[in-house]
Amino acid sequence: MANLASIQNEFMNLLQNKPSDLEQHVAQQGQLNALERLSIYTSAYRIRLTQVIEQDHEQLGKYLGDDLFDLMVKGYLKKYPSTNNSLREFTQDLPQFLSDETPFKKHLILADIAIFERLLLRAFDAADDLILTAEQLEALEQTDWPLLVLNLHSSVQLIKFNTSAVESYQALKSGVTPPIAEVDKSRFWLIWRTPNKVTEYKTLNEEEFNLLNLIIKKQNFSTLCQSLIKSHQHDTIAAILIQYINTWLALGLLKQL
Amino acid sequence: MLKVVGMKEFLGFGLGLRSSHFEEIIQTKPDVDWFEIISENYMVEGGKPWYYLEKIRADYPIVMHGVSMSIGSVEPLNLEYLDKLKLLAKKIEPKWISDHLCFTSVGGINSHDLLPMPYTEESLQHLTSNISQVQDYLGREMIFENVSSYLTYKESEMSEWDFLAQLTKRTSCKFLMDVNNVYVSARNHNFDPMLYLNTIPKDSIQQIHLAGHQDFGTHVIDTHDQDIPDPVWDLFREYAKQLGPVSTMIERDGNIPPLESLLNELAFAKNQVSDLWLEQGEFKHG
Repeated sequence: MANLASIQNEFMNLLQNKPSDLEQHVAQQGQLNALERLSIYTSAYRIRLTQVIEQDHEQLGKYLGDDLFDLMVKGYLKKYPSTNNSLREFTQDLPQFLSDETPFKKHLILADIAIFERLLLRAFDAADDLILTAEQLEALEQTDWPLLVLNLHSSVQLIKFNTSAVESYQALKSGVTPPIAEVDKSRFWLIWRTPNKVTEYKTLNEEEFNLLNLIIKKQNFSTLCQSLIKSHQHDTIAAILIQYINTWLALGLLKQL
Repeated sequence: MLKVVGMKEFLGFGLGLRSSHFEEIIQTKPDVDWFEIISENYMVEGGKPWYYLEKIRADYPIVMHGVSMSIGSVEPLNLEYLDKLKLLAKKIEPKWISDHLCFTSVGGINSHDLLPMPYTEESLQHLTSNISQVQDYLGREMIFENVSSYLTYKESEMSEWDFLAQLTKRTSCKFLMDVNNVYVSARNHNFDPMLYLNTIPKDSIQQIHLAGHQDFGTHVIDTHDQDIPDPVWDLFREYAKQLGPVSTMIERDGNIPPLESLLNELAFAKNQVSDLWLEQGEFKHG
């Protein structure tokens, strides 16, 4: 007779469509045979995980269409079975899968849309940091500013795409045809959760994108100013940076010092 | 070994807390005695679910219900998961915490399903040891729910109800009895659901779940996405006669209807048993 470990291993093999002899361990009962009983579990496994991908990557699904979506789901379930207790993390490897596997890897935009949808989820679940206010910054001494290190709210996500991933996401969500995938220059995006708990995203210019990345790297106000020297007149830099900071304060991108 | 022995608390009649009802619950403060949350939905750092839960738990008692403990798995207990659960319980201060008598993950892979145990002496010993370890680690009592099932292992040495009766005898653990799950399994395995319910010691029942299913004639699938059907109401009423007041809630996991619909169903649940439980002079809540 099989022991507990053997039964459990065979069950997991069955769900993952690997060779399994679980059928041999199922008693004959009623109107359903052993295979029919096992198919209830295998169907539920496939349906449950497919629904997670559909829900977390709704626009990617529309972009792919039914046949390619089904192919992606089948391949992803096989290559990346869930290893996390939370279904929130189930599609964390989907961008990698789309970058690696034929026919998806030929179309860079697919992985980019998947990344964007993952970042929306990450912003949604991020910690509830206290937001920095203009009054708190104004209370700083002038002498504190050069070494001031700002902190971004935990929900802030920055991403650069060389495809029209976000524009396509927006189009699909609005029910219109997405633009062509190729773009002539890089797109810089900010994703964050507003103080009233709504997940938002907006395009950034490269300068603002780089400044926010410097903040992520814990660089101080002086370093942020220095990063602007090549593109602005020296006497305007502090004012430009203050203008950016005011925008970030208004959006709720900065957390308390 | 931790021994937690105490009177079971009667919370009244509750609902599973679902995100589509957050706003309405805060605005209208409906007549619900308590809410049950899915523990894993709050194992995130922040955001909307936490924002709403903080507001709702200010007005209602909360019970935590998990789906990922995998207490029956032959793998070592997932201490990372238990740490998260412990932290969550510290923040939420639930009345109690429950999970399922099943295995969900093996070999590092999570099925995200509640897979049935074979009812053997080996399983009993394994669960007895794991329940003790989990309760020691969490520093509190755990409640375990019966799962619905679609197969019986040839290896099983006893019925599910004898298995559960043995388990509570050995561990003193309490059960969350899902009456719908009993009905579903009874149909799928052709047993008498009242024999099942009557065999399990009544003082081990901490909570009741009521839910719906889909009936395919040859078998029944536990979907928790339909209204509670008459056979489950009948079973609940029959069981309630013998059980006395036990905290009861409606668990809807899919095809979530408007809150008003669930409130009506909850009022119906209360009506089903209020005369029975009042007769016993113990229906003091609500």
